[in-house]
Amino acid sequence: MSTETPEPDITSRPRGRAARERMYQYLLLLCAALSILVTISIVALLARDAITFFTLVNPLDFFGGTEFLLSRDVYGLLPLLSGTLLVTVIAALIALPTGVAAAVYLSEYASDRMRSVLKPGLEVLAGIPTVVYGIFALVYVTPFLRTIGLPVNTFNILSPSIMVGIMIVPMVSSLSEDAMSAVPDSLRRAGYGMGATKFEVTTGVVLPAAASGIFSSFILALSRAIGETMIVVVAAGSQPRMLNLAEPLQNLWQGFQPMTAAMVQINSADSVSQLGFSSMFAIGLTLFAITFLLNLVSNRIAARYREEYE
Amino acid sequence: MATTEPDADWHGDDSSISQLRGRAFEATCLAATAFGLVSVLLLLLFVANDAFRPLSADSGWLLTYAVTVVVPLAALAVYYYRLDEPAGEVAYVTSGLPVVGVLLTGGFAVMFIELLSILEWFALVTSLVAAGGLIVAHGRLRPNAALERLVVLFGAPIVTVLGTPPAQFNWLVTDLAAALGVDFGLYHRVISLREVLLRLPYVPTNWLLLLGTLVAPLAVAGGVFVARRCDSRRAGFAVVGATLVGALVGLVTGPALGIGYGGWMLLVAFVALPVGVYVEGVVRRREGVRGLAFPVTAVLGVAVGSVVVDAAGLAGPDSWIDWGFLTSATSRTAADAGIYPAMVGSIMMIIVIVLATFPVGVGAAIYLEEYAPSEGPMGKFVTLVEINIGNLAGVPSVVYGLLGLALFIRIVQWPQGSIVVAGLAVGLLILPIVIISAQEAIRSVPDSFRQASYGMGATRWQTIRQVVLPEALPGILTGTILALGRAIGETAPLLMIGAAASVRLAPNGFFDVAGMMPRQIYSWSSELEPAFRHGVLAAGVITLLAVLLVMNATAIVIRNRYQRE
Repeated sequence: MSTETPEPDITSRPRGRAARERMYQYLLLLCAALSILVTISIVALLARDAITFFTLVNPLDFFGGTEFLLSRDVYGLLPLLSGTLLVTVIAALIALPTGVAAAVYLSEYASDRMRSVLKPGLEVLAGIPTVVYGIFALVYVTPFLRTIGLPVNTFNILSPSIMVGIMIVPMVSSLSEDAMSAVPDSLRRAGYGMGATKFEVTTGVVLPAAASGIFSSFILALSRAIGETMIVVVAAGSQPRMLNLAEPLQNLWQGFQPMTAAMVQINSADSVSQLGFSSMFAIGLTLFAITFLLNLVSNRIAARYREEYE
Repeated sequence: MATTEPDADWHGDDSSISQLRGRAFEATCLAATAFGLVSVLLLLLFVANDAFRPLSADSGWLLTYAVTVVVPLAALAVYYYRLDEPAGEVAYVTSGLPVVGVLLTGGFAVMFIELLSILEWFALVTSLVAAGGLIVAHGRLRPNAALERLVVLFGAPIVTVLGTPPAQFNWLVTDLAAALGVDFGLYHRVISLREVLLRLPYVPTNWLLLLGTLVAPLAVAGGVFVARRCDSRRAGFAVVGATLVGALVGLVTGPALGIGYGGWMLLVAFVALPVGVYVEGVVRRREGVRGLAFPVTAVLGVAVGSVVVDAAGLAGPDSWIDWGFLTSATSRTAADAGIYPAMVGSIMMIIVIVLATFPVGVGAAIYLEEYAPSEGPMGKFVTLVEINIGNLAGVPSVVYGLLGLALFIRIVQWPQGSIVVAGLAVGLLILPIVIISAQEAIRSVPDSFRQASYGMGATRWQTIRQVVLPEALPGILTGTILALGRAIGETAPLLMIGAAASVRLAPNGFFDVAGMMPRQIYSWSSELEPAFRHGVLAAGVITLLAVLLVMNATAIVIRNRYQRE
């Protein structure tokens, strides 16, 4: 009976099966390659209009110009760069120490239960839409700064920068915490074996060992602060201004217009010249170049520390 | 070498001082962790206060609801947290499911009101099913014809759903044809199955269409799920029968309640069915049954509270968020302003984003995790792609807006500020996030699963489709929902592609100009009137955050349920 059943031919390879497999592979490869296409089209499309712009405006005048006036077709990048710089510096002053301290707490001190509350909580900070942070800055933080006696204008650079700082804290803390968790326990034990206290192990062993990871998180956070748009659009005003180096503190109370906010303003302006429109792409390309470079550097550093302990 | 240094400092010498220093350091670090959280929490409280204005209510009203709702629920929550964690999970899901269900109901209701009639929905679903059927049938009949399959894969939806290119793409065909000097004769388009269905002389009534294309499939899905879980076909049939009867009851009760039979049927399908299936499972497993007390207490508390408040004639708060805010358009006067058209715009944008990014993102992740070679020129290319994806995730959102403006509006010439453009620009923005999270989900599927599948003689694609993807699906869904949460709140790209600042009429096509929720909120933020600044604006922010909260909570529930140890 059993001899009558034909042996199933399990070794046969039906024709076309291999071709089908290859088809799916190429389709999926196409999906993956799309990301390259996105990058290329960003660069190409921004460059197209930026080049038109630079044929009409000398790049030196653009990158070295100290005045930005759409109505008079004067396009100097420095006032916009001043705004971006201020936001980034203030946000960094808030976020970098806070983020690293939070990472130290989460990685070295927190109990499991605390971690399970604080970590998702910090992630929530990164998930709040940036326009909401902008409204916080404009409607609640600026009046609050006034009540505590700071002479801030309605639109000022200080309150949006504080909000940008709070927004990027989770980015610093989660990446730094990853770096600190990657430090092998044997290093900590060696420290304790030498009679060091927990404080000494944390500051003397863990932090230096995780330094490159922490540094890479800093760069990433700065890049996020540079590219942040809605917070500054809502709360920083629309007045491009040069840094007042004689009285540095005065800068904080005034409104600035960072690069991102300038792009939004050009785009939403009622009547803007062809040149003004293409200046938006020149600013966009500059912004893209800065953030892309920072991201690259950060990835490089992060890759290096991963190699160190794995 | 063996030299001893008796005078060397011993670390413990000043132990009392260093302990203080250590304590202070720990406290500083904790304070730093809490700083951001506490300040944002405070700001959120301010916004919520502006939006709901709880203090404008009679104190008796507040007291009543505090006694009937807040205190019992808080007590239950403490009990679950301290003593009965499984019940806490049940309480969380049973209170969350109806919220998600009501949101879905609202989404579908908006879709039927603004986007397509029930007949159009019926035609769309039927044609999609027909396309799927064609593809599956071809796979069965000619399993080895790869190229043919490719043609069918893309051709079937065109025949059944799209027909020959619709008007929006005509420029492509006609311009190309003109450039080549050829006349394709496409001016008379060939219509699709969908359009044929729309022109049928006799169609069933709307409630029958809705029952057949929405309620019945969901009921069957629920039935199959229960039948598998209980290992009993009868239980499955009971679920299907109960759902259909429940939906049919709506023909009478729906209009009586003022929500129409459509609203009732949607509620049955999206709220009653999932809640029923979940509660049945909880009761049968006898695990955390006490958690069911939470939603029951909430409903009873609200009911008792409203009776007491009515009887005593206490006035509730004059909240900015109310039914009127959610269902009317924006207005010059703060009291009449609403967010409805912007909400419709956001929902339609999300549809575009899901259709555009989910397949591509998951496809890219599958390639990178399952196929990508690590060596050779292809290996280099793959490394480049990976680095590039990481970098794209860090490109500022305003640059994506600029890309959308340059690509879709100036080159493709789609209307400025239309939903398609907004969806694609924001979709490109979240694409790297979708890819990265899908990669993580696929990576977490143990290799032994794949080996087992290969051992059974499955090909790589069969392994991916039948082993890896089902296992990774919860993770992929979690990541996608979180990415969509990011997409809903993105504003800068919307400004760059010129989304409408304030729209009075909800859009009813994907090529319509529309505003989205964050765009509307931004326009309100430039109003100077305090009623806008501290009322309407706060209400808009709370609405947006509530949608985000529900999405994130859903993602977390999915993650916790299916997390791999």
